[in-house]
Amino acid sequence: MKSNLEVENLIVEKDKEVGKEMAKLGNKIEIRDLSMYYDSFKVLENITMSIPCRSIVALIGPSGCGKSSLLRCINRMNDLIPNSKVEGEILLDGENIYNPSCEVIELRRRVGMVFQKPNPFPKSVYDNVSFGPQVMGIDNKKEMDEIVEASLKKAALWDEVKDKLRTSALSLSGGQQQRLCIARALAVQPEVILFDEPCSALDPVATQKIEDLLIELKENYTIVIVTHNMQQAARISDITAFLLMEVQGEPGRLIEYSDTNKIFTNPSDYRTERYITGRFG
Amino acid sequence: MKKEALEPRKAFHQQLDDLYYELLRMMVKTLDILEETRKAFKRLDVAKASEVINHDDVIDFYRSHIEEEGIELLARQAPVASDLRLIVVIMRMAQHLERVADLCVNICKAIKNLEGIEISTWIQEGIETMFEHSKKMLTLTMEAFMRMNLDLVDNLNQMDEKIDHINRSFFTAFDKDSSKELDLIIRVVMISRFIERIADHAVDMGEHLRFLVTGHAE
Repeated sequence: MKSNLEVENLIVEKDKEVGKEMAKLGNKIEIRDLSMYYDSFKVLENITMSIPCRSIVALIGPSGCGKSSLLRCINRMNDLIPNSKVEGEILLDGENIYNPSCEVIELRRRVGMVFQKPNPFPKSVYDNVSFGPQVMGIDNKKEMDEIVEASLKKAALWDEVKDKLRTSALSLSGGQQQRLCIARALAVQPEVILFDEPCSALDPVATQKIEDLLIELKENYTIVIVTHNMQQAARISDITAFLLMEVQGEPGRLIEYSDTNKIFTNPSDYRTERYITGRFG
Repeated sequence: MKKEALEPRKAFHQQLDDLYYELLRMMVKTLDILEETRKAFKRLDVAKASEVINHDDVIDFYRSHIEEEGIELLARQAPVASDLRLIVVIMRMAQHLERVADLCVNICKAIKNLEGIEISTWIQEGIETMFEHSKKMLTLTMEAFMRMNLDLVDNLNQMDEKIDHINRSFFTAFDKDSSKELDLIIRVVMISRFIERIADHAVDMGEHLRFLVTGHAE
């Protein structure tokens, strides 16, 4: 039996370690004064937030508040939309990704993305995962096998598909397909993974599996997730960002950005309070 | 905000409102019991004391009902922010009120043992003052809870000190006057102690209210 004092000391030491660990990490992404337009329509205005390394940040807010647009700014997916324009900057490890010198292909390798609906290629399970590394120039069979196995294991799918690597990805269930898409994103060794409502097309059990997986992935990756499910944000994220378009036609703004714990027990802004308690929506 | 007429969780908020009013009813009932207990002591009315003892199950029913409803809302509605704090505080308050009613029962049991004994005026007055103060504290807590107004519970601690003071004075007074019957001394000290505990519950409820309104646990 340990004395109370000993137990207390142990807890204090543990807290110190956790604190040191957190302080060491710093911010992976810094969004500074970001505004975004589709043609002349301003979608987002003056968004500023710091996303710490190896954390899960959830973006919540009513439909149309610009949370998916913000997510897509982080790996410049919006570049593909004609007449979209971005002001301000997004720093990834201190480098502005909107600098002309930024290599967009390399950026998207470092910042992977998983979408709302599982979208595997109509190819085999193996080919789905090996596609990215292959494009990157890996042609050694043994090395590729290792990458595929490791990625599927990290995505908690290996045990379910190890005997059917050559069957079509489309024969998998929805939840499995989504984990395959996560494995595909992991295969190119990203640092950040963006999730755009990854569970909205899945049943509750598949959703729980993905949520567990995200918490595991947090050990090694920085995760930003857009979710319509507030309880999902409450369950898995470390930090929650609440975005809101207050008046139809005005841009979405960041209303509150704080610890998830704080947001869901005692939010600072009355608009956050009213939204998460379901008093408007 | 323009679209607030559209409240997505109306049904849930209706249930939460019902729970809130149920607690208010429980508060009123508990205050009644405290008042009846005060009267029973003042007149050493054994019949009234028995009545209080027999009515305690009403308060127990309120408490278990509020707890059940609260747990159900927590489990099924996943409340957050002020909704979450409200449910947690309502459940805690119900527990305090149940304890207050139990203490009234304890006082009434002691009153039954005082039948026929003459109680000096200074004791009568001391206990009466304690009753008045603790009633005032509970009433203020209830009003503060009804209006979500923290100003009303600002002075609870000061009021509690007065009660503590009278409670302690009984011990010293009896020291000087040890010729009194031991039985009487024990009963009065017990009753005084029970009222002092009731006041402590009022202080605690004031703190829960502070948490509900500000979100900060002291």
